[in-house]
Amino acid sequence: MSNELVNVGVAQVKLGTTNQILRTILGSCVGICIYDRQQKIGGLAHVLLPNAEAMDQEEKYAITAIPMLINLLLKQGCKKEFMTAKIAGGASMFKFKSDTPLGMIGERNIEMTRKILAEKQIPIVNEDVSGNVGRVIDFYLNDGHLKVKAAGVEQNFYKI
Amino acid sequence: MHEHIKQRLDQIITNLTQLPSMPDIVSKVINMVNDPNVDFNSVAAEISKDQAITANILKLCNSAYFSKGKEIASLDRAIVTLGIKEIRDIIVVATTKQVLDKSVLGYDLAKGDLWKHNLAVAMLAKKIALDKKKKAAADVVFTGGIIHDVGKTVLALYVANTFKDILNYVIEKQVSFNEAEHEIMGYNHQEIGKKVLMKWKFPEVLQDVVEFHHNPSLAPEANREVVSIVHIANAICVMAGVGIGGDGLYQELSQYAIEKTGISESEIESYYAHVPELLNQMKNIL
Repeated sequence: MSNELVNVGVAQVKLGTTNQILRTILGSCVGICIYDRQQKIGGLAHVLLPNAEAMDQEEKYAITAIPMLINLLLKQGCKKEFMTAKIAGGASMFKFKSDTPLGMIGERNIEMTRKILAEKQIPIVNEDVSGNVGRVIDFYLNDGHLKVKAAGVEQNFYKI
Repeated sequence: MHEHIKQRLDQIITNLTQLPSMPDIVSKVINMVNDPNVDFNSVAAEISKDQAITANILKLCNSAYFSKGKEIASLDRAIVTLGIKEIRDIIVVATTKQVLDKSVLGYDLAKGDLWKHNLAVAMLAKKIALDKKKKAAADVVFTGGIIHDVGKTVLALYVANTFKDILNYVIEKQVSFNEAEHEIMGYNHQEIGKKVLMKWKFPEVLQDVVEFHHNPSLAPEANREVVSIVHIANAICVMAGVGIGGDGLYQELSQYAIEKTGISESEIESYYAHVPELLNQMKNIL
């Protein structure tokens, strides 16, 4: 069966099933991939920032996008106890000072993502985060595995 | 250093025929915008001879980003309705697309990625210049953003063959990707890009944007502000992953550019937060 590639843009949350692959490209943003191994349904949230004073759009921020993604999955009949998460991204600008909020966007995204997933009791089974690389991630919904391509190297994460 | 690659690139930039081409009319339009003696109608007549470019220009004139809400059906109307400077930007978009809208394999950019990146940088740079009330800069940063990475299209083939060496050099010496390009291949994409712009007879300020967009403090004083704005717009788009390739975030965000433009770090974060809206505006230009 051939797979259908679905692009997930910056600040988008998308669900998919069986023969679909959710793809997104990450710099300092974090991609959160949640999979229900029972239903074989998954979703991807591409968040730009951890949070903001004026949150104009839920999909942009980890603090709102992750609960939104979980709720969308629950509405599809998924159950929390069968959900696991993989996260990727959160890179930083090379040699930019890491002691200011701007220099820390990647790390702030990762930290908030971990915090929200912990609060929602969704375990992170794999992560490929930080560093200075851009990442293209493909989330395969037939088996929930994640392929991460960074700096010309591909890695696959199979745990679900 | 891969000597044979350097020699090959020496040849390419000496024998200009192997660099991408641009119709003469484009540099004419860019240069004439600041020349009060130029008769734009004669230029419009010249552009009209190329039906493909004209059709593309008219399509852009009616896109959400450029349109002023009035349907535009001819170049003459476009000039009256949108003004000469908007038309210049539109012509640059329409004509550079054929050079920039393709896959750039060595940098791991799929078809359309580089084009999307360039448009995003152009639009963001213009927005920053206008927000900061830097009118003169706003006139050139859009074009500068469009062409800042043109050198990548020439270097791609050679980067494909040396990518591992470049990346190892980056990690070993802790230098940015473009510095490593220069060390490994003898040239980086800024140096090659400048040669492309010289071939196209684009003005010096644009050549400086291409040559110094990773090191704004080294640009000639008169153009440092323009270069700095494009530099910051580029950094924001890279952080947001817009058209980011194998060179990833291995580039520096210049403190000099931040000070020169007077943009605070929280403002940069706010521009970054609004990248999705920027991409939305871009939709029917792509």
